[in-house]
Amino acid sequence: MFDRPSFVSFASFGKIAICTLLAACFAFPQSNSGAITGKVIDQDGATVFGVSIRARNLNTGTAYKTTSSGSGDYSFERLGDGTYQISFPTLGLGAPPQNVVVHAGQASRLDIRVRDTSLNTLGEDRSFYATRAAPHPTPSGPAPLTREGKPDLSGVWWAPRILEPPEPTLLPWALDTVKQWAANDAKDIPSARCLPMGVAMMFEFGVTKLIQTPTLLVIIGEHDESVRQVFLDGRGHPKDMDPTWRGQSIGRWEGDILVVDTIGFNGKSWIAAYPSAFPYTEMLHLTTRFRRPDLGHLEMDVTFDDPGTFTKPWTMKTVSDFAQGEEVQEEICNENNQDPGHLVGK
Amino acid sequence: MKTKAGFLIAGFLLTVVATFAHHAFNAEYDANKLMRWAGTVTKVEWTNPHARFYVDVKDESGNVTSWNFELGSTVQLRRQGWTRDSLSAGDQITVEGYPAKDGAKLASAKKVTFADGHTVLGGSPSDAKPTY
Repeated sequence: MFDRPSFVSFASFGKIAICTLLAACFAFPQSNSGAITGKVIDQDGATVFGVSIRARNLNTGTAYKTTSSGSGDYSFERLGDGTYQISFPTLGLGAPPQNVVVHAGQASRLDIRVRDTSLNTLGEDRSFYATRAAPHPTPSGPAPLTREGKPDLSGVWWAPRILEPPEPTLLPWALDTVKQWAANDAKDIPSARCLPMGVAMMFEFGVTKLIQTPTLLVIIGEHDESVRQVFLDGRGHPKDMDPTWRGQSIGRWEGDILVVDTIGFNGKSWIAAYPSAFPYTEMLHLTTRFRRPDLGHLEMDVTFDDPGTFTKPWTMKTVSDFAQGEEVQEEICNENNQDPGHLVGK
Repeated sequence: MKTKAGFLIAGFLLTVVATFAHHAFNAEYDANKLMRWAGTVTKVEWTNPHARFYVDVKDESGNVTSWNFELGSTVQLRRQGWTRDSLSAGDQITVEGYPAKDGAKLASAKKVTFADGHTVLGGSPSDAKPTY
């Protein structure tokens, strides 16, 4: 991040002298010395990490991308003069692009305020989201192996950290749906009624416990009170299944990667891919690749293939940290749910 | 401010649409109406999906209204350092949060401060310390 007033004053001292002192002069030739910088904040002024931001030069077509940091900062640097379209591909697809003019030698400041559905409620505030996304301290060492010589995925794992915000291309009906969700503040979100939210094997909040045997992987989700079975005994999917909220999963090893195949979804939940959510149809075919590269990490790559919703399959890459000393806690959603009667939307 | 052509003047604050969390707090509570209440805690419900606490709030005329405040889940709160005793009946507190859109005496709580000025852990986004 460079300091605009200082840059301008350096330039006035004479280019040659400054360029022998400042390596930055070579990286910032006059014609590509513009920038767009800013902070992503929520309605309370707290910083928001992990927001995907695009800048596209409308004259040249060159596109740049970045993601807001842990402190909410983002920057596009070394930009040529011109008009840039700023867009937010993962903010519920309801945020219209805006244009910003960039001049040589100037940093255009653009702070972005995001209206977030959590309202910084205690327990689900910025620090919750920030720590959920930040790497946790993990034990080091090689991944444990089973008696059969396969990686053992068993353990309690922190929620998956999405490595890059997903940007699937939605069919028109699905795009309209997401825009409606954004417009009515997601008042119909299934999880607000204690119904399953998300379809991926590991949920985006809370911890997940994996228990692996040679013939079965059991996945216990804390926040969504879920128990899934992934059959590893070579069976195929049953014929003529009734569609369900969590689908039917079978798995096989490809070397050190456990590939899980899930079909049979009922299309009623919302795909959870924080900060985005997407609808889907009964055609959804999920392929999940689990890999434990070392003791402390579990990689989960999820490919969503649903020709009824997306123009092509897309993959969400995540990694979860080993939650040493943690255990799945009980979280009975129906115990005291007072929200449904008050979810008015706008 | 925006010019007629839709160009942003550098330095503007752009407001964009909500991100999705797993829960629609802002479908229920008015994010444009930050309020503060002062009163006495009458009950704490250490429950899911949301822990809740109730506060008797006295207005200028001395009329008492009971307000119902919503927090995150007990599991999330515990991992941030709360316990079920962090708030108790009888505590004199100030609450900052957003009231229900439908007019109910109901609000989300983003900050809880005791009479001596200390906050329940994680009182504001800027001074919350991650514990995990």
